[in-house]
Amino acid sequence: MIVLLKLIQGIGAGALSISIGLLFVGIGRKITARIHRRYGPPFVQNFIDLFKLLSKKSISHGFTFDLGLIAGFSALLAAVVFLPMGQINIFPHNSSLIMILYLMTMAYLGMAMGVSSSGNPNATVGIARALTLTMGYEVPFAAVIFSVYLFAHTGSLTNIVAAQSGGFMNWNLVKLPFGFVAAEIALQGMLGEAPFDMAIAPAEIASGPMVEMGGKYLGFGMLQHSIGLFLETGIMVDLFLGGGSNVWIFVIKQFELYFLALLVNAIFPRFKIEDGVSFMWKVPLLLGIVQALIVVL
Amino acid sequence: MNTNLIWLVAMPLIGSAVTAVVVRYKFLDRLITFLTFATTLFVLFLAHVGQSYSWTLKFLGTTLNLTLNVSHLSIFMLYISIAFGTVLAFYSLIDNSRMKGFLLLLVLAANNWIFMSNDMIGFFFAWELMGWASVVSVLGGREKEKSRHAALYYAMMSVAGSYSMLFGIFILWRLTGTFSISANIAYLSSIIGGHPWWVLGIVSLFFMTFMIKSGIFPFHTWVPLAYAYSPDAFTPFLSAAMSKYGVYGMLLFLPLGLLEKGFPTAFGVPWTNYIFLWFGVITAVVGTVLSIFQDDVKKLFAYSSLSNLGYVVAAIALFTPVGITAGIYHAFNHLLFEGALFITLLAVISRSGTSKLSEMGGLWKKMPITFFTFFVGIASAAGIPPFNGFGSKWLVYQAMIKQHLIFATILLFLASTGAFMYLFKAFHSIFLGQLSHDYERVKEVPIVGQIVEAFLMIAMIFFGVQPGYILKPIGAIVKSMGLKPLPVMANGYVAGMFSNVYMPLIGWSLVVSFIFGFILFYVSAEHKNVSQTDNYTAGQIPEDWGLTPETYQFSWNFYQPVEKLFVPFFRIKIDGFFRGIGDWTKATGSAIKEIFVGNAQMYAFFAIVGLIIFVIAGWMA
Amino acid sequence: MSEWDELVNYFRGRSMWMLHYCTGCGAIELPPTMTSRWDMERFGIIPMATPRQADILLITGYLSIKTLKRVVYTYEQMSAPKWVLGFGSCTINGGIYWDSYGVIQNLDKYIPVDLYIAGCMPRPEAILDAFGKLKKMVQKGEAKGYEKYIKNYDWYKANQDRVFRRTEPVLRKAEEVTKSA
Ligand code: SF4
Repeated sequence: MIVLLKLIQGIGAGALSISIGLLFVGIGRKITARIHRRYGPPFVQNFIDLFKLLSKKSISHGFTFDLGLIAGFSALLAAVVFLPMGQINIFPHNSSLIMILYLMTMAYLGMAMGVSSSGNPNATVGIARALTLTMGYEVPFAAVIFSVYLFAHTGSLTNIVAAQSGGFMNWNLVKLPFGFVAAEIALQGMLGEAPFDMAIAPAEIASGPMVEMGGKYLGFGMLQHSIGLFLETGIMVDLFLGGGSNVWIFVIKQFELYFLALLVNAIFPRFKIEDGVSFMWKVPLLLGIVQALIVVL
Repeated sequence: MNTNLIWLVAMPLIGSAVTAVVVRYKFLDRLITFLTFATTLFVLFLAHVGQSYSWTLKFLGTTLNLTLNVSHLSIFMLYISIAFGTVLAFYSLIDNSRMKGFLLLLVLAANNWIFMSNDMIGFFFAWELMGWASVVSVLGGREKEKSRHAALYYAMMSVAGSYSMLFGIFILWRLTGTFSISANIAYLSSIIGGHPWWVLGIVSLFFMTFMIKSGIFPFHTWVPLAYAYSPDAFTPFLSAAMSKYGVYGMLLFLPLGLLEKGFPTAFGVPWTNYIFLWFGVITAVVGTVLSIFQDDVKKLFAYSSLSNLGYVVAAIALFTPVGITAGIYHAFNHLLFEGALFITLLAVISRSGTSKLSEMGGLWKKMPITFFTFFVGIASAAGIPPFNGFGSKWLVYQAMIKQHLIFATILLFLASTGAFMYLFKAFHSIFLGQLSHDYERVKEVPIVGQIVEAFLMIAMIFFGVQPGYILKPIGAIVKSMGLKPLPVMANGYVAGMFSNVYMPLIGWSLVVSFIFGFILFYVSAEHKNVSQTDNYTAGQIPEDWGLTPETYQFSWNFYQPVEKLFVPFFRIKIDGFFRGIGDWTKATGSAIKEIFVGNAQMYAFFAIVGLIIFVIAGWMA
Repeated sequence: MSEWDELVNYFRGRSMWMLHYCTGCGAIELPPTMTSRWDMERFGIIPMATPRQADILLITGYLSIKTLKRVVYTYEQMSAPKWVLGFGSCTINGGIYWDSYGVIQNLDKYIPVDLYIAGCMPRPEAILDAFGKLKKMVQKGEAKGYEKYIKNYDWYKANQDRVFRRTEPVLRKAEEVTKSA
């Protein structure tokens, strides 16, 4: 019985993350358009695009291509159920942050496997860039999460959220401000928004990983992006903004973070890849280390 | 008196004598090797913790007590190394590299002896046997000239290590008059309060040997050479099992490393341990960074192997319950995934005939079982749950964070991210991308090989989802070291300091979401399969363009932007420095021998002093 | 047409992705169409980098024979519901290149065109108007050029081959020329 209940809750969490993620990207497109002084697409445009992509015929480069794309989507879906989202917390005793991060890695491995088995060098160059950038932003992010670990004396997101309960002044945003800034910059890289969008540069490497993806494959890529967006902002909300008393407040907090990322995205050009990494290893890492030292000492 | 322990050493020796006779007939050689491994495994079932055996040797008027005994640690190491060796020997039935069965069996004999020996003479003898047998094994690589060079280099480092250990043994013998390891350790811990520096010096002599064997920075330089140019069928054993001797030795002497009584602490660990820990961390980072730029796949995984050993060393150096658990657990995981990866590499290299990443590509269609084993292997090595590498990495982080070692943790995290980079590079360059015309006729390995690969794949998933089977024996080891083991929980749990992870839950979550993914995939509009040449080429038609699969494969200079980032670090050449020592040793060795002939202790002492001077001089320069 | 198809077509019309691939002068009219002044994203039309991802192929102007080869290859790489939009008089009848040796005159002979935009060059308003028209056609299920292409493949192929022969070197093989140079 409990298994069935958890199963249904898990499916619900997955559906929630997909729809919220797609909605976020849709609203994001509208906001970016307004920044550009355009009218912008309707905010449900992303759902329409997804539907069109899933109903469009496509080409495949063999079984690994299919499997990789499915893995990219499914592994993120599997990670979502461990994320505490406001009052929805399906597995409260199993929400270790590092576990979630490593589980997300599986999605990226799957995605990377899929697109590079297409045999297109553009795709592989894109993946190589993405991985290089990963090395850049994971280091400051690691500094931040370990500071939070030490600060809260716990590694489980549930407990980190619980430790921040009781108002704005208890949030880690207030208590660990340097860490928050560092994590915000790392989040920009994680989301792949400008100035860290070199992996999917459309003009230089023909949109990188997505070069051979069409139809439902691109649809899966889009789903992956949406869930990834949901997860990454969700982790940030749990780490710094005190989770949420219910799921809608949680989503609104997520959107605030995404909104910040969008504003930066709309006005910045792209970094060169090595410059992006060295930027990550200078400013955010320094902030992260300062924060870590403050916590340790 | 448990005579069955003798058979653990004698069995492989007999087997090796037999195979030495039939070495001409390759299949017979391999068959007997495998049978000997299997019998040894069977003999091991009869061994239990607490058994011991000893006998006395009269030698030039002195009596030597040789003792074998089985502790929790040794039985764990014996099981994992012999079990892996058996799997490898089974695979080697179909292998046609120039590995000699009798050498592998000699290594096995030494392996069992090292893990059971409780006297330093036996330990040293077994250590030498292992060293020389493996050096000779390395000689049989694919490229003769290079493997000769690698073997020489490896031999030189081994000899340096042996000297160091010999010197330590003799000093201890002078002090206590006995060769028994446990007695000596007890003696050292009794004088630790009064003479911490003395103890530190003696222990360092041993630790240097162990660090050389495990390839810990700055002694990592022999690892890539020996791994890359040894026979392909021998490398899995070299990487998976033999790197554990160093770890075993460290664990044996580590209780002493806890020099709290004599030394101040840093971050809650004695600073000796703190420094030792940094050796591990630096190894992890250096191994990862160098691995990213390799083109030879065996070298790439050699660096990967030593970077994982860096994790092990960093964790056990803490000497806290969670640290020791994490270290041994990671040692086991390293054995499993690195062994599996090297066996798949053996399969790939035997089929494609090259170990250059830039010459391979697109092999997944041709070798599906190998491909999936490799996939699970890199997922494990990258620490992706629910495969087997995750639990231990996660525990390592927890152990470090517990001691507030934030910088070390960040660097280890960096190493882990970098690991993902080089693993993907190897994965892509071997199996994904464009299949070259040369490999159109490549076939999957014979059925024996497929069985081995499938077995290892299942093992990696099984021990990932059910870590309890490994964590329980490790708990016993931790207890036997006088520490409080981590709480024992249900089988699927990895219990940490900060939170727990229930691995089967992750597995189920993945299963459900994959089912969902597949359903969504198959209800969506249909797709058609296209050939690898039907690719986006900016409108250019491949035939008109003279495009071949080889030129449309991206595997050369894979991480060029990263290379630019690390340029300043590449100026440091540790390798050349050791080579300098080698030349120096060759030139002056004979002179030293003249002077100190007949006095092994002095001879060893001077070799060590010379080495240390050169290490210092090298770092100053 | 079943209800499901109607639904699918409705959404397809609302989300048409074009291939960012420009051939002639028409390319210059696309940036204003995309950006703040006319903003075609409000109709769900965005530029995509590769043919795999795209639904619409814009032939923005004259096509030299060499480019036609790439266009045909690109068109064949696109996946099934796909539409071709011919820009300007050059694609209709050759325009000012009506008597050129190196430029094709009727695009419709080589790939099936769903909609033409007249003008030399059509202004962004005209382009947006054409997109609106195409959207209606798609939603009604009238734009079926890709099916026509498969049905009459032999005819298209013959036409293509006839002009492609003109790109071959007349005197010497290409390799010989490069070798002697
Ligand atoms: S129709 Fe006019 S504007 Fe368009 S390509 Fe031809 S000449 Fe250029």
